[in-house]
Amino acid sequence: MEWRHRNLIGLEGWTREELLFFMEQANYMEEIINRPIKKAPALRGKMVVNCFFENSTRTRVSFEMAGKMLSADVVNWSSSGSSAAKGETLRDTAWTLEAMGADAVVVRHGQVGVPDYLAKKLRSAAIINAGDGTNGHPTQALLDLHSAWKRLGDLNGAKMAIIGDVLHSRVARSDIQAFRRMGVSITLCGPATLMPEDTDSLGVKYVSDVREAARGADILYFLRIQAERQEAGLIPSTDEYHRRWGANDSTVALASKNAVVMHPGPMNRGVEIASSVADGPNSVILGQVRSGVAVRMALLYLCLGGAR
Amino acid sequence: MSIILKNGVVFDGFTLGTEREDILVKDGVVARRGADLAEEGARLIDCAGRIVCPGFIDLHAHFRDPGFEWREDITSGARAAAAGGYTTVVAMPNTEPAVDSQVAVEYVISRGESAGGARVLPAACVSRGRKGGRMAELGLMAQSGAVFFTDDGSPVSNAGLLKTALRYSRDLEVRIMEHPEEPSLTEGAQVNEGAVSASSGLKGWPSSAEVIDIERGVALCRETDSPIHFTHVSTEHGIDAIRRAKREGLPVSCDVTPHHLSLDENYVLVGRFSSTYKVNPPLRTRRDVKMLWNAVEDGTADAIATDHSPYHMDDKDVPFQEAPFGIASIECSVAVVLDTWRKLGRPVPLERLLSLFTSGPGALLPRSWRSLGALREGARADVTVIDMEEVRTVDVSEWKSKARVCPWSGEMLQGWPVLAMVDGRIRMNRLEEVK
Repeated sequence: MEWRHRNLIGLEGWTREELLFFMEQANYMEEIINRPIKKAPALRGKMVVNCFFENSTRTRVSFEMAGKMLSADVVNWSSSGSSAAKGETLRDTAWTLEAMGADAVVVRHGQVGVPDYLAKKLRSAAIINAGDGTNGHPTQALLDLHSAWKRLGDLNGAKMAIIGDVLHSRVARSDIQAFRRMGVSITLCGPATLMPEDTDSLGVKYVSDVREAARGADILYFLRIQAERQEAGLIPSTDEYHRRWGANDSTVALASKNAVVMHPGPMNRGVEIASSVADGPNSVILGQVRSGVAVRMALLYLCLGGAR
Repeated sequence: MSIILKNGVVFDGFTLGTEREDILVKDGVVARRGADLAEEGARLIDCAGRIVCPGFIDLHAHFRDPGFEWREDITSGARAAAAGGYTTVVAMPNTEPAVDSQVAVEYVISRGESAGGARVLPAACVSRGRKGGRMAELGLMAQSGAVFFTDDGSPVSNAGLLKTALRYSRDLEVRIMEHPEEPSLTEGAQVNEGAVSASSGLKGWPSSAEVIDIERGVALCRETDSPIHFTHVSTEHGIDAIRRAKREGLPVSCDVTPHHLSLDENYVLVGRFSSTYKVNPPLRTRRDVKMLWNAVEDGTADAIATDHSPYHMDDKDVPFQEAPFGIASIECSVAVVLDTWRKLGRPVPLERLLSLFTSGPGALLPRSWRSLGALREGARADVTVIDMEEVRTVDVSEWKSKARVCPWSGEMLQGWPVLAMVDGRIRMNRLEEVK
């Protein structure tokens, strides 16, 4: 397949065939991770800049490992102590990075649309969205898809429940795009105050009762509940949240027998997910992390022209 | 110096003529209207195929002067307005310092007089420092020439202050213009609440934020019997509230903007979060756009006002969430409305549409300026000529305005103003002389 995406801003433009092709590529990459010598020369001489304006450990490290396993040079640029702290605009920062010769800029930013903005400003560097505000986190969606697909096979017709703070979740938005494209039907669940106003427009269903959402589901996806939602008064307390929507063994028991339990991490054990579920037989949470490296390797490889 | 505008079709502010006519302008007034006029030494301008209208009035523009002159100043703003076909513009008072005193009102007037563009009439603040606390010196500012009172940029959030100001201004013949927004519902909001906020996660700006403030203003208008004007109304339900108040006979009026008549919330997504589409109130749904056109048709909307909000590139060319709210449009907004009207299949009669640039807004000004909205013998010669066939591309690099970011930049629009005249002086002209 001729790979036509130079950037990854969002998954809107990806077809089902492209997603499947991408999964296969990620499988090859996972083989490299499993080798005793985890290094392939595919991206030797390519310069990847991790440009993180927001705190992140797993995503940044995952991109860094992915780049290094493919022999790219990876440098980390973080906003603290940098030009951003001195008042430089994002436009100038981006032009500076490009002038230095970056081949790919992996960007994480707290604001919606920053990767779009950079893609409009930069001529030569590939832009990869590592999370923009509440809008999207497409590599998370790809890794979620990869780990669900590995366990369940063809996802067409599968049922997925996404439970938690959808309103503020870029993971949920990207997962909805990716899983729907693969033929998965999605039900959102959680407090109405943590749901977008217009869920119909997203092509998904909403139910408030977690048992109803979990019943017969093939994928149970739990989102992180941040303490600040309680502070903002959107939920009465994290304790009430846990009792009404938190994942426990009885929630998982309602799902289909081989259902997978997923979480983007980092987890708040005892809030959105009980330890018995997080560490239980249905959990693929660590598999997601491993898929994360494989998926980011595949992405860097394809976007930086390794396939050509 | 006299000028004859030859062979145009005349729109007098209310009805569109059917025959070719001439307009003779002499000593700054419309001296005569009729067929085949002649005058010794007069300059003859060929208006054949064009529509000769009363000068267009924009009730709502931000000229950023004093205080933010790198974004716009009164001179650049007034010239931009004339280039866009306007002959009178009401300048908003959210400057630094705010226009909340007689001296500031007089500053705006005197800068406007020397600008060589459209006539600039000042709006003054309702509250001192535009802080929403104490009432400003409304009477003195009215004496100096303020034509509206508004804390625009913000609503008058304190209902007690709004009621006091409505009562106090009742004998001043100067309307209060309210920016309808309930702030507790819009904190941190970026886009219309609905499909776009759902898919982007950007905080939604609900329709209720507008409706609640309009309903509050209507209730206070009912009690005080003092006129109130709601500016940049953007939602179906906001329009409904105003329509009901008008049917009740209350002295309520409103304007709608060219951008809310032509763009909807989907542009935020299609434009990949381009900050040019970030505006307060936000671009709304397709249905809201349709309902605004209904308001134009049935007279619920009294005026089309630009809410021209210029910013410097360095302010506006940043990611969406960082960008300030505002669309700069005064140099193309007449064309935007005419082009949209044509593309929508002419949803309202042309004379109705043109009245929202002329007699509609004119009727909301203090008595001394009210004649501006009509083209009559003996009236001030404020004239805008439009050409419904002219096709031009919006080229921001040629703008008189200091703004360079605009949703229609590079777009071909059909229907443009081709001449603007203020008190008999030509401020913009693309027409040829009759040889």
